[in-house]
Amino acid sequence: MIINELQAIFREIFDNGDMVITRETTADDVEAWDSLTHLQLIMEIEQAFKIKFKTSQLKNMPNVGAMIDAIEELRNK
Amino acid sequence: MQFNEYKEMVSKIKLYDYASLLNIGRKWGKIENFTASKMKIAVIGSASIQLITSVLRALLTKYDIYAEIYEGEYNGIMMDVFDDKSKLYEFEPEYIVMLPDYRDIESYCPSMLSDFQEIQTSVNDAYEQYAKIFERIHKILPQTQIIVSNFVTPFFEPLGNLATNYLFSKRSFYRYMNLSFTKNHPKYVFVLDVEELAEFIGKKDFISESAYFFNKSSFNLEYIGFYCDLIARQFEAFSGGARKCLVLDLDNTLWGGVVGDLGYDGILLDPNDPEGEAFLAFQRYILELKKRGIIISVCSKNDEENAKEPFEKNENMILKLSDISSFVANWDDKATNIRRISNELNIGIDSMVFFDDNPTEREIVRTYLPEVKVIEVPEDPALYTRALDREASFEWTQLTKEDIGRVETYANNNMRNMLMSSCVDYDDYLINLQMIVESKFPADAEIERFVQLTNKSNQFNLRTQRYSEAEIIGMKGNNLYELLAIKLEDRFSKYGIIGCVVMKFVDNYCFIENWVMSCRVLKKGVENYTIERIVEIAKKHGCSKVVGEFIPTKKNSMVRELYTTLGFELENDKAGLENDKASSKRYILTQEKMINYKQTYHFKEVRK
Repeated sequence: MIINELQAIFREIFDNGDMVITRETTADDVEAWDSLTHLQLIMEIEQAFKIKFKTSQLKNMPNVGAMIDAIEELRNK
Repeated sequence: MQFNEYKEMVSKIKLYDYASLLNIGRKWGKIENFTASKMKIAVIGSASIQLITSVLRALLTKYDIYAEIYEGEYNGIMMDVFDDKSKLYEFEPEYIVMLPDYRDIESYCPSMLSDFQEIQTSVNDAYEQYAKIFERIHKILPQTQIIVSNFVTPFFEPLGNLATNYLFSKRSFYRYMNLSFTKNHPKYVFVLDVEELAEFIGKKDFISESAYFFNKSSFNLEYIGFYCDLIARQFEAFSGGARKCLVLDLDNTLWGGVVGDLGYDGILLDPNDPEGEAFLAFQRYILELKKRGIIISVCSKNDEENAKEPFEKNENMILKLSDISSFVANWDDKATNIRRISNELNIGIDSMVFFDDNPTEREIVRTYLPEVKVIEVPEDPALYTRALDREASFEWTQLTKEDIGRVETYANNNMRNMLMSSCVDYDDYLINLQMIVESKFPADAEIERFVQLTNKSNQFNLRTQRYSEAEIIGMKGNNLYELLAIKLEDRFSKYGIIGCVVMKFVDNYCFIENWVMSCRVLKKGVENYTIERIVEIAKKHGCSKVVGEFIPTKKNSMVRELYTTLGFELENDKAGLENDKASSKRYILTQEKMINYKQTYHFKEVRK
């Protein structure tokens, strides 16, 4: 499950071992989720899933669900 | 977490592993005890500046630097620099790192078919905006060192191959700009070659269009480790960590095979053999290192006679015995031998780089002498030069005539040692050296060396007081200060400036604010001569006593007893000590002793 792998990355970046994310989780729900941590999330996700997000995907990631969809889209190519 | 634990973790991360670097960067706040030397750095760059500072700060711990960082926003650079009351100046950084992007000067690009005059004007105008920034910073923070990256020339070029045929092309313009930085940067500005890093990594990878569109980063952040390491290594050099000496193994390092088995003629060094060619190329590179002032030494498990034979008799050898400043060949372990070389050459273990094809030897040195930089040597000798070069072990902050001359000096030291054994006693030996000493106020052209020696010397250094060039220049016009630059030459070599003294006149006494000497000239009586000169000058200023101070560091134990040896008395009363460290000691030379103050030395000629 992509979301489980993502959760591990989120937990590491936000330094919170109990963090639980859903498809609906947005930056507004997480206090420390700012542009800097967002960039780190992107970089770590790209490394973990061995993908490179498209600019169109990067500019439109309102929530975790959009991240998962983008990863799936790139993986299924 | 302790600083050392953090440092340990950082050391294990490879530069390409950006995720781990970002991760360790986030853990910075967890360090509790800072034992490393603190450095105040301001970084002014593009939008991804926070990531850069976070990784840079982490990598600096490898060099025992704890950085306190001010992040300037690139768009705010003008505000930061041209407002005297800006946060940048309030922070008072010791270093300012500026990371411009080619897009910042794109508007200065000359138009198509511009003539040389117009192109020159474009380049001057573009450089001028940086020159103004440099000057302003220097005016407000005269002691601050600026580090500026050059421009990564993009590979997009509308003119295609024509670009290289015209000086007005964008590509030519950016290249010209980089040269302009090289040519025009003032002394307090150091240019960092990010363009070279981009070329080495490969621009198609290093440049990321989407990284720029997405967050205005001038490069692909996957390479943030390499980018920050380039900056961090330069800081290592600025913090006094410059390495000076290369320690080389012989068998399968300088030539193929084992000389003890194959003989000087049987080792592989044949220019007609691909592998022989590889060893020769490596020797050529080492010779180039020697020419730029790196001291070359040999540390080999061999009989000395066998080990030296190829240098003397093999026609293909590029390195000669005279290129080697210290030659140690025996059957002792290499850690012991490296210590010997360090003693013989009088240079710190921490300024040495070790190159040996044998992984076991490398491991021993790593374990027992962790201060030595050990190069990871590849199996194929064709890659030796690359391995040594890319480790960039010899990053310095400047190159002076003395650096270049020093190598000759060390090689001549060996001759001197031989001379010494032929002399009956040490005084005889000193007389035989026919030394000429000179002391004077440093001339303008000598200030750079004066500052360099003052800031680089660690062993013969009484107070380890560091000065910027601007401070020293300031003292030249100040009656409260007197400076002494000591020069030495003997029948083997000219050493140039090897001693620096800063004297300060306080009330009715003369305080030796700083006294350093190059370790190359120890035991030659220069300190005796120097103190005599100090006393003489103090008398001229009407001082009733001379006051010296010793502030102990990890490295200066050799001068612990210096003042006592020179007839000073330890003062137990610490009141009024210039330094509040409990371990520092103050020494007095009384008026009585000043009257007929005399020390022994053997110089053929003394020039004042």
